[in-house]
Order: sequence, then structure tokens, then C-alpha cells
Amino acid sequence: MQRILRFLDAQPTWLTILASLIFLLIAWQLLVIVGGYPAFILPGPADVWSQFQIVLADGRLLHHSLITISEIIPGLLIGLLIAVPLGYILAKSPLAERLLSPYLIASQAIPIIAIAPLLTIWISSTYWSRVTVAVLVVFFPILVNSITGMRSVPPEMVELMHSLNATRGQIFRKLELPAAMPVLLAGLKVGATLAVIGALVGEFVQPRSAGLGYMLVTARYQFKTDLVFVLLITLAVIALTLYGIVVLLERRLLYWQKRPENSTALSKQTRKDLGWETAPEKARYVEEEI
Amino acid sequence: MGNSAGKSALCGGGDLKRLSFRLSALFLLISILPLVACSGFGRQDSPTGELMHLRLPMGYIPDPQYAPLYVASGKGYFAEEGLLIDFDYSSETDGIALVGANEVPFSLAGGDQAILARAQGLPIVYVTEWFQKYPIAIVSREEAGIKTPQDLIGRTVGLPGFFGTSYVGYVGLLSANGISQDQVQATDVGFTQVEALLSDQAEAVVVFANNEPIQLENMGVPVNTLQVADYIDLVHNGIVTNEETIANNPELVEGFVRAFLRGLAYTLDNPDEAYEISKQYVEGLDDSRRDVLLASLDFWRADTLGLTEEASWQRTQDLLIEMGLLDKPVSDLPAAFTNEFVLKVQP
Repeated sequence: MQRILRFLDAQPTWLTILASLIFLLIAWQLLVIVGGYPAFILPGPADVWSQFQIVLADGRLLHHSLITISEIIPGLLIGLLIAVPLGYILAKSPLAERLLSPYLIASQAIPIIAIAPLLTIWISSTYWSRVTVAVLVVFFPILVNSITGMRSVPPEMVELMHSLNATRGQIFRKLELPAAMPVLLAGLKVGATLAVIGALVGEFVQPRSAGLGYMLVTARYQFKTDLVFVLLITLAVIALTLYGIVVLLERRLLYWQKRPENSTALSKQTRKDLGWETAPEKARYVEEEI
Repeated sequence: MGNSAGKSALCGGGDLKRLSFRLSALFLLISILPLVACSGFGRQDSPTGELMHLRLPMGYIPDPQYAPLYVASGKGYFAEEGLLIDFDYSSETDGIALVGANEVPFSLAGGDQAILARAQGLPIVYVTEWFQKYPIAIVSREEAGIKTPQDLIGRTVGLPGFFGTSYVGYVGLLSANGISQDQVQATDVGFTQVEALLSDQAEAVVVFANNEPIQLENMGVPVNTLQVADYIDLVHNGIVTNEETIANNPELVEGFVRAFLRGLAYTLDNPDEAYEISKQYVEGLDDSRRDVLLASLDFWRADTLGLTEEASWQRTQDLLIEMGLLDKPVSDLPAAFTNEFVLKVQP
């Protein structure tokens, strides 16, 4: 087993992903065959692929996906725009933290599924009530990371900026924001995937005639389990895409960060030069670096 | 220290590989979990003492509308058949899927759902028609002047969504009156029909005839109601089982149907007592829902309780096809229902 894992570890990333996908599909198909499950309990990959082609060809998948995405993106952005400034205020003002944090933490104990139907009544627009659900879901993790990020700035660096007569705005732009960025982006990654769940919860509770959530409800009503799988995979792809966008953003914004553990980004020769041929050697290297 | 953020980023090649493996494993686990959950560990139909425990998916929250079942349980009709019922308020779709997979022997389900399930290969059989009339209605404020289906033309009608019982009833009413869907402005208002009507989001809303019209009347809002059942006979809620249970344990089906029909008959004859019995099963139930039960009775009455008609099934199937919910007729529609047990248990 160790051998196989070591072999896979040595392969390019795309090949490993492809291998894991093939492994997954084979295991899935075997499960269907060995278990003898009918399609309404567990459809095979071929059934799901066939259903995927149908809903792709008739345009339904794209239509409903775009609607869901149009709820996810504003949900994520609005959540970000509220959470980051609030996180800054809470990180900088102990009084604000004392006043607000009990409510913010308590709000996380309220299941969103219980509030979502009420939002339908409070906000007359279906679209905005769905977006609001997404905002509520993404808000807290981004907020927590914003606070953590802002607090991660070393005080001596702030003092240095003060000694250089930097204004409050300059300190924020030149020091605090860049320093907080890694943690902030980690929060955004979590938020990006949660926004998908948020929009879907909104569509589940208000299963009106649009969105992947509506399509999911209808597929379940029609007992089309293969279509349910198509939609779940589509949602996963949307979440992964959003996650990937944040990762790209992270690479662009955090280009100044060293990434010594990014072993596959280095050539085999470089790894050899570094003495990273074996795991213990790599561990020793990292230890020495620290 | 400065590397910590870089380490946490999952975009690194090695991390991405591990992530892809973990995602694959997670996906596989998610695929397997429902099977494990349905694999018989949760089966509750094993005999305990004298009585066999049966889990019955109901499809809705505890409500006096289920009075016939509560009566059959409370007065011991199920016990006389050797059954002890655990009421399970999970969704109708879940209930049918469980029956289709033979994880539970019975569930409550609508005729539309039974047909759609058969179309996907679920071996569902509808054995008792509880609701003899389709309980969907279109309700509007009196001043809107919607007194006939023709008055709906050009109006805005609010629906909970373009699926499910309400949608089937709505399209059925239009279809039976020669009105095309394009002639009416249907809008989805979610499950907030009363609010949508009161806030003028819609001029009429599609509701359950035994529920929302009563709510509106209790609020002092004069309404006009168009009952779907006055225009078209569709199959609504009843009891479904599966082919395997019928083949291997027909006595169980017979016993269940007998107990249920006794409960139904008792409820029709003694609604007030049935409501009091319901209080044992519906937590916190006061007298505010009594009218809902009384309004339901008319939808259950029949010369022979529980009997279902082939013509209603054909009509329901045609409607599902017209609505695009069903691609083509199911291969053997008469196999989707049977009167065998209802006729057997007649006194």
C-alpha cells in the first residue's frame, strides 16, 4: 500500500486526480453490480451520465445552474462586504467585540433552515430571500477569519508604521490588510463552498420554478435518482470551481509568500538537490528550516 | 512562521492529490451511507411480544387530518391485527422510496406519486384510497369575483411551486375546463399562500381545501373557493405497499387495511371523539384545528370506503403526461393499484 501511495505521489497532479476519479467510478459501478441495487436506490455512473446528457442537451441544467450561481455570487460578495469591515471593527475595538460578539456567536446556534421560511415572508422577493440565506451562511466563517487575520498583525510592525508617520489608512492598506490576507482568504475559501449550500437551502425552502434546488425537489418528486445525482455532482463542481477561483486569487495576492512545502511545484532535480527523496528527509529539512 | 499560510493553502500539488483522494473517498462514503441506513438495521417490523412494530411514513407533520390512523391506533384496531404503529412524519417521497426498497411495508402517498414511482421502477401498489375527492382548491378574495374556473383567465394565481399535489390539482382544474396554462398567470409563492393572497401578490392561490380556506374564514376574510374535485376526479392520498409484501405477506396487508378502514369509519361517525383521540398523538393540539378535521370528512366519504377506480388512475396519469412530469404512460397502470384488500375486509 505504501508503495502504491509513494508511486502515486511521484506522479503529476492531473494524473493522480484522473486515477482517483477512475477508481471512484469503478468502485461505484461495482457497488451497484454487487449490491444489485435498482436505479431508484443507487443509479450507476452510466445512468447518471445518460441523464446528464439529457438535461445538458435540453438546456435545463445550464438554465437552473445559472440561476443558482446568480444567487451564490451575490450571497458570497455581500457576506464578504459585511463580514470583513465588521471583522475589522471587532478586531480593533474591544468594546464593539464585547457588545456584539455574544449575539454573533448566539446567532450561529440558530439553524438557518428554521429561519429561511420566515425570510420568504419578511423579504417579498424570492431572489433576494434566497441570496439572504446564502449571506447568512457565509457571513460567520468570513467574519471569524477577518478578526483572526486582523489580530495576526505583529504590534511592533504597527509601531514601526506609526514611527514612520503612516496614516491610519496607510497602515490598513500597507500592513494590516496584506498581513490579514492569508487568513482572510482561508475564510473566503470556506465561504465559497458554504455559499453553494446557502443558496441551495434557500431554494429548498422556496422551491419555486427556478434553480438547482427546485430541480432537485422536482427530481425527488419524480423519483429520478439519476437526476438527483447529476444535480449533486453539478453543485459539487460549482463549489469546487468557486474554491479554485479563490485559490487562484490567493496565488495572485499572496505571491510574496514562500511555499517550501509545495514539493510538486519543484522539479525532481531540485527535490533531489534538497534531499527530499524520502519523507523523513523532507521532515528533517522542514525541521531544520524552522 | 511565514510559511503557515502557504502550508494551509490546499492548492499545492501534493495537497491537491490528497484532496482529490479524500473527495473521492468522501463521495463514495456519501453514496454508501443511504444504503447502510436502508440496509435493514433500521427495520422495525420485527415482532415484539405479541405485536409487530410497524413504522408508518405519514408525509406531513402530526395533524388531526390523520385522525383515522390515530383512532385505529388509539382504539386498538391495529393491535387487534397484531400491529403496533410508530407514526413517522417524514416526507411522502421518502416514504414511497422506503416502501419501494421494501424497508417499510406501508406508507401514505398520493396517486400522482404512486404513478411517478412506478414509472421509475419502484414496485409500489396502492391498496386503499383514503381521500375520495382531491382536496386541492383555488381560493380568492370574494371581491375578486372568481366564481368559476373561467374567471381565472387573465388572473394571477399563486402556487406553492410547479410540482406536487397542488400543481397537479391546479392543472387538473384548468384542463377539465378547457383552459390552457398560458391563459392564467401562474406564479410561485412558496408555502405562503395565505400571506400572498392577503398581500395581493396573487389574486387567487392554490391551497388544501380543508385547511387554508378555513384559516382565511377564521381571520374574517370572505373568500370564494373553487374545489378541484368538483371538476375532475384524480387519485389522492391513500395507503401504498409493495409487490413483495403483497406476494409474501397478504395477511399483513389485509390486517393493516382493515384496521385503517375501521379507524376511518369511526372517525366519520364520531368526529369529535376522533379529534379528542388525536390530541394524544398531536402534541399541544387545542381546539383550533377541529374545523380542519370536520372539513376533511367530506373528502373521505364514499359508499365503500377505500375503493379506488381505474378511470381516476387513467385521468391522473394523463394529467401527469400533459404536465410533462411523466414522459410516457407507465407500462402496467392497473398494477399500480388494487381493490383486492378493500373488498376482502368489507363486513
